[in-house]
Amino acid sequence: MATDEQTLSETARIARAALANVAPEPGVAKPDPIMTAEGVRRSFGGITAVDVERVEIQRGSITALIGPNGAGKTTFFNLMTAFDTPDTGKWWFDGKDLEGVQAHKTADMGMVRTFQLTKSLTKMSVIENMKLGATGQKGEKWWNGLLPFTWLAQEREIEARADALLARFKLDHMRNEYAGTLSGGQRKLLEMSRALMTNPKLVMLDEPMAGVNPALKQSLNQHIKGLRDEGMTVLFVEHDMDMVHDISDWVIVMAEGMIIAEGTPDQISSNPAVIDAYLGAHQGKSLLEDL
Amino acid sequence: MNWSNILTATLSAFFGVNAMYFALSAIGLNVQFGYAGLLNFGQAGFMACGAYAVGMTAHYYGISFWWGVPIAVVYAVIFGLIMGVPTLRLRADYLAIVTIALAECVRLIVRSVTFKKYFGGSDGINQFANSFVSKTPFNPSSKYSLYPFADSVNAVGSVLLLVSFAVCSVLLGHMLAQKWAKEERQGFQTKWIISAVAVMAFLMIASKQTEYDGLSFKSLVVGWILAAVIGGFIYMLMRSPWGRVIKGIREDEDAVRSLGKNVYSYKMQALILGGVIATFSGIMFSVSRGSVQPDNYSRDVTFYVLTALVLGGLAKVSGSIVGPMLFWAILSFVDAFLNELAKSWGGHVDIFGIPLITESSHIGVYVQVVIGLMLVFLMVFRPQGLFGNKKEMALDGH
Amino acid sequence: MNPGDQLKKRLQHLVALLLVGLAVFGMFAEPAHAEDLAVKVRVQNQVQDAGTGKTKKEPVAGVKVVVADTSGAQVGEGVTDDKGVALIPLPAKADYTVTLDESTLPEGFALQEGGAERQVKGDAFVTSTVTVNYFTGAANRATVGWWSQFAQRLADGARFGLILAMCAVGLSLIFGTTGLTNFAHGEMVTFGAMIAYILNTDRAITPWLAFPVAIIAGGAFGLAQNEFIYSPLRKRKIGLVSQMVVTVGVAIVLKNIFLRILGGRTKVFAAFNNQDCKRVGPICVTPRDATTALISLVILVGVALALQKTRLGKATRAVSDNPDLASSTGIDSQKIIRLVWILGGMLAATGGIFRGLDEGVGPFIGSDLLFLMFAGITLGGLGSAYGALVGSFVIGLFVEVSTLGIPIMPGKNWPAPLDWLHNGVPSELKNVPAYVGMIIVLLVRPQGILGRRERVG
Repeated sequence: MATDEQTLSETARIARAALANVAPEPGVAKPDPIMTAEGVRRSFGGITAVDVERVEIQRGSITALIGPNGAGKTTFFNLMTAFDTPDTGKWWFDGKDLEGVQAHKTADMGMVRTFQLTKSLTKMSVIENMKLGATGQKGEKWWNGLLPFTWLAQEREIEARADALLARFKLDHMRNEYAGTLSGGQRKLLEMSRALMTNPKLVMLDEPMAGVNPALKQSLNQHIKGLRDEGMTVLFVEHDMDMVHDISDWVIVMAEGMIIAEGTPDQISSNPAVIDAYLGAHQGKSLLEDL
Repeated sequence: MNWSNILTATLSAFFGVNAMYFALSAIGLNVQFGYAGLLNFGQAGFMACGAYAVGMTAHYYGISFWWGVPIAVVYAVIFGLIMGVPTLRLRADYLAIVTIALAECVRLIVRSVTFKKYFGGSDGINQFANSFVSKTPFNPSSKYSLYPFADSVNAVGSVLLLVSFAVCSVLLGHMLAQKWAKEERQGFQTKWIISAVAVMAFLMIASKQTEYDGLSFKSLVVGWILAAVIGGFIYMLMRSPWGRVIKGIREDEDAVRSLGKNVYSYKMQALILGGVIATFSGIMFSVSRGSVQPDNYSRDVTFYVLTALVLGGLAKVSGSIVGPMLFWAILSFVDAFLNELAKSWGGHVDIFGIPLITESSHIGVYVQVVIGLMLVFLMVFRPQGLFGNKKEMALDGH
Repeated sequence: MNPGDQLKKRLQHLVALLLVGLAVFGMFAEPAHAEDLAVKVRVQNQVQDAGTGKTKKEPVAGVKVVVADTSGAQVGEGVTDDKGVALIPLPAKADYTVTLDESTLPEGFALQEGGAERQVKGDAFVTSTVTVNYFTGAANRATVGWWSQFAQRLADGARFGLILAMCAVGLSLIFGTTGLTNFAHGEMVTFGAMIAYILNTDRAITPWLAFPVAIIAGGAFGLAQNEFIYSPLRKRKIGLVSQMVVTVGVAIVLKNIFLRILGGRTKVFAAFNNQDCKRVGPICVTPRDATTALISLVILVGVALALQKTRLGKATRAVSDNPDLASSTGIDSQKIIRLVWILGGMLAATGGIFRGLDEGVGPFIGSDLLFLMFAGITLGGLGSAYGALVGSFVIGLFVEVSTLGIPIMPGKNWPAPLDWLHNGVPSELKNVPAYVGMIIVLLVRPQGILGRRERVG
């Protein structure tokens, strides 16, 4: 499936051009990596969940992380964002060593993630959810909490930004509803837009399409492409190969905790190692159907 | 059966010292459990910090116990740190276990013979609050009422009481009207006015039954003003961005962490803030009696405060003040009712030949059974409390 | 019927059950004595047995005691009889001062801690009498070598550790399979002891029948709690934190029902009472204590083996490890949870009976152990049954042994915590080091000795 060159945006062309000459092999070096992991290992009670020799994520690109169930994709996300600690290994974001850096600090550095099971704060309104995402809020110091004049101006600014994002993600009509009243797809959108409130450089989406209806999927696709157009880097976990093909500039394949293949979407769908990995996990199904 | 005795006991418990110090403690527990979702089972320990800080300051240094207040705050901060540091990174139940065990440690140590020379053992510290007792304007041996038109109340007092009753009526009336109106906003103002008038009428009737001695009355006035001020602060705080983070943590701390908030630090702030407020509860309670006794800070006290809080409704400032009032009213009612029942049955209450009450000390047992049942049934059927919002509770976590 | 109605109905059943239970036990309970208000003063001389190192208490007769009210006016006086007891009638439940006339003590006797003047609070009158204890004694400590004292404490500690472990295994298994931290587990311990006491002492049934019946009743009690309270709550998807608060409510209710049935004072079993201890090497044990220790050991090893070897035991561990995975492999997790409640209830009841034989039966014997159980489980690793076993055993041992100091430091008057190292932890504070130890374990190794780190966060 070849993507029509005409429909590609400017940023997509730049990203694909930068990756065009990168060899399609696991752990290959990228021209301008925003994130690098080296020798990252994590085992649970004797079972190795993640064992990554080396991986680099190209800045300004949309990179897909695929692999069969239990391949360690979510664990890898957790390790990179300090929600879990690897047994060994080093990893860098934007040139900074992340070893020993706490989870909340990674967000301040410009690295934000979403979760496979959406974590909308159900008993707070949609707009409150959004406002929570803004970083560097003066009113988040408790002593300022009692002095509204210290934060009201900033609060209005944050609210305006949140409203703009809600409008963009077509959630503005739900602004004052409890987040718990949203549908599954709307929650995914809310979580993504809330993540954008942190002004990230790298957005890590864990299965953004899971449980989303097809109509919404299409617009979610556009939103993800929009992130790249705004200069953000996107790394996402996905099962749906159609979507991977459509929007990603680069694909990384994990199986049994290891990176087994890398390459452009076209290179990956013809890679025998990938087909093996998937066939090993799900016998007798075609790759495209299952990826 | 003397119903007027029962009624008087019930109504005067609404504003009594017990309701007052429980309200202060419940406001603190509400910050921790209601807003931040931290299951602190060691609230009695924080209360003991306050009580012993003022008691010891007055008793051993011979200075006014008011100097103990900043010391109490320091104690509470240290106590909160000891509780929080090992547990706040772990799952919720660790906090519950450690807080309850630490509060128990405090109680064991202060009541021990070994440390009697510091804490006074099981007798505690007595008669330290003379400077509070002897200060005008209230004479300890006279009786005072909260009824604005009572003989013991002068003109200034009448006006102050009426104003505060009016403020309570407006605020509580709003809460009741919301409950009454549920979803539809139509005619809300009418409902608000009706509710406020009803609350005002209730306050007048209830306050007419009250009669306190000078010391209790003075503590009540100071304590309730303190509760109102702290309650107001918490109300503001929970509507600030700080409160937003705290409420977010209650729902899903990973989500909040992924947005760049230092969840551990916020939890610690909530734990300590709630503990410092509970310290004031201990201070007011010990000052109101002029004595500190270790057994007033047993683990059961924490559970009773929790019950009172759940009764009023979690995550609402009004709930943490109304809850303790209702709690003590219910307890006083049960206690007075059983007392009258036992009296009118000749000291024995037998049902189907089972000797339920044979001496007056048995009544306390049933009162506590009522507390336990109240906690169970509220938690299962009305976790939002008597005035809470059912819709909010119905929202599913995932 | 929707789940809510079903739950309501079940809870109604539960309340009915509780009332019926109260009624039944009400019949068992002692007839109430219409005692007059009094303060009971007991004067005892503590003598350390040269052979065992254990402290014996002997009554002191002929000691004069005076009671005064808060104004200082004398309201009564008495002289201790040959049981060392003086019963002094009082006019009302109020605060009093009790003063022992030290000049009337026998030659060479001196009052120990607490002083001659004691306060009695009006609210201390749970029943119509309040007891005030005075202890006298000469400086007759340490007549036994340190090593034999140590051996004795070790033996006592091991016994206590075994009992504690037995109580705690159920708590840990329930936590492992359902995630619930049961604050009413102490009441399961008390329940077993209370039933055994009522059957054995009030109903004069032989312990060989009474104790097994009490243990079975304990299992039924655990099952009933699961069926009527926690299983409906799980079906209703009530959160674990809320369930934990429910257990607190249940604990308050049960504790007070027990208090009503048993009364405030500690009772002694009719069976196996007043045995003399037999000397085994440096230590001295009664046949009763030796037997209970042996039975506890056999039961615990049996439980450990059953968890390891039997099909049900393996299924239980599987549910503890990962309930979702276990149910997908065809294990009926509800059945396992039921089993765990029954087993936990039976073990707790057994522990309660043994503890009651040791310390007497009171309404709070279980709840007094609860935090030590938590400490043991935390030490061993929350949710691991073996961890609970090992951890509780270690805690029990530690609590007993810590009351014996290591006389290493020269000089005498060290400040309190350092003094404990030298002279041992005072028995009123002996649980404190265990609680502090629990907190240190959480700081250093939150997963405990045998736990895994994934479970803690």
